[in-house]
Amino acid sequence: MSSSTAMTAMNLRFQKDSLCMQDPRQNLAVEIDALHKWYGAFHVLKGIDLRVAHGSRIVICGPSGSGKSTLIRCLNGLEAYRQGTIMLDGTRLGEDAVQTALARRQTGMVFQNFNLFPHLSVLANCTLALRRVAGMARTEAEALAHHYLEKVRIPEQAHKYPAQLSGGQQQRVAIARALCMSPRLMLFDEPTSALDPEMIREVLDVMTELAHDGMTMICVTHEMGFAREVADEVVFMDQGSIVEQAVPATFFSAPSHPRARNFLSTLLH
Amino acid sequence: MGFDLDFALASVPAILGAIGMTLLVAVTSCFGAAALGFCLEIVRRRGGFVGLGVRFLIDFIRATPVLVWLYCLYFILPFYGVRLSALTVGIAGLSLYYSGYLAEVFKAGIDAIAKGQQEAARALGISRLDTVVFVIAPQMLRNIAAPMGNYFVSILKATPYLAVLAVPEMLGAAFDIASDTYRYAEPLTVAGIIFLALALAISQGVKWLEKRLAVSTVR
Ligand SMILES: Nc1ncnc2c1ncn2[C@@H]1O[C@H](COP(=O)(O)OP(=O)(O)OP(=O)(O)O)[C@@H](O)[C@H]1O
Ligand SMILES: [Mg+2]
Repeated sequence: MSSSTAMTAMNLRFQKDSLCMQDPRQNLAVEIDALHKWYGAFHVLKGIDLRVAHGSRIVICGPSGSGKSTLIRCLNGLEAYRQGTIMLDGTRLGEDAVQTALARRQTGMVFQNFNLFPHLSVLANCTLALRRVAGMARTEAEALAHHYLEKVRIPEQAHKYPAQLSGGQQQRVAIARALCMSPRLMLFDEPTSALDPEMIREVLDVMTELAHDGMTMICVTHEMGFAREVADEVVFMDQGSIVEQAVPATFFSAPSHPRARNFLSTLLH
Repeated sequence: MGFDLDFALASVPAILGAIGMTLLVAVTSCFGAAALGFCLEIVRRRGGFVGLGVRFLIDFIRATPVLVWLYCLYFILPFYGVRLSALTVGIAGLSLYYSGYLAEVFKAGIDAIAKGQQEAARALGISRLDTVVFVIAPQMLRNIAAPMGNYFVSILKATPYLAVLAVPEMLGAAFDIASDTYRYAEPLTVAGIIFLALALAISQGVKWLEKRLAVSTVR
């Protein structure tokens, strides 16, 4: 039974791919082909293939050390890769410096530890890149920052410093800061795993809203409720490979791979 | 021949007259050493062949007496057609010498900044230079205000070395009085007290700066 549902998932994926192929001008948001990466002699990513259409939401999960962070960091050039290709909206990452910078500018990243700039106010955190990278004037940048701070529901904290905010508030500022650059793709690396349980909800709510607005998202998370509700596909990684890729309903009810099954059962306990 | 207070007070104006030169040398050398030391550290961090060269240069600078630098710049450069005024050589020498020490201070200050800060800046598309200026430098200053202040005091205390180049700074002025009158205790004591006052002013300034920088990070 489980193999037949996996077949359905594969068919779904196939249909999705062929849907995109109908219009050759339509690029995929992300297209990863045979991606390999080594840390020294350690083979971290062992031939990753992943396609992400515009507007779709991918949740990546898997045991610690399986290469989830490494994969997501390759996607915005924080890590270099040795073999394979990454295409962001039709631009090959790492081929041409200018093109790569442009492609990367359209990618927002949210980190597990927020990584807000501690010496800058919430507002200045949001406007720094707008002013220095996008070359926006101060008033214009601040108006845009306020817009996104409202979107993550903390406009009243604009003049505080990061250390004066709770973890959940800091992570929402980090999301607003990334959104300010109008990214077409948002990457999240375990955005809620450094948070106290009571703050996880407020961050997930913001992310869910973002998904409903149609943002393309790739999200490493172990929040399975979020995956069920928001994800178009769940990708399960283990030891540097994608072991299983399926729609959430299939992945949670009938994971085909024993390691995925094993992983899910450890999450439940 | 005891300590003559009246003579000491009488020598104050002449010595204070040279305070401008001492301050000029000290302040420009502080800025020069800080700017140069920061650049050295940034280049050293980038590693590679150039970084390795700079690492060696920093060690070399620190291992050489400051007087050697002053003599070299003043007496050797003219052989190569570079003729600098005594004041310029003095400021350049002190800047160069202390840049080696400040580079080490900056290194500690930058090492203490979380790695995620640079990654966040890169992920936002902020250029390397802007990252250094707007993300790294302000946080580094917050980490190192106190040790940096100590080196600023050291630079102030090193200004009398410029006497060897006949730059008319404060200790030189005190010595002029001494050799004219054969009374050493009074003018040298006066100069010492003024140096002490300046050093205290610098450390107070650093304390104030530290407090101001800390306001932006309530921890
Ligand atoms: N800079 C590095 N140098 C060497 N090895 C590294 C480096 N970064 C990560 N690794 C190793 O690569 C593997 C994958 O790491 P990665 O951080 O991608 O895992 P992960 O799936 O995100 O795990 P987690 O759930 O713990 O965050 C791990 O075994 C890790 O020890
Ligand atoms: Mg990780």
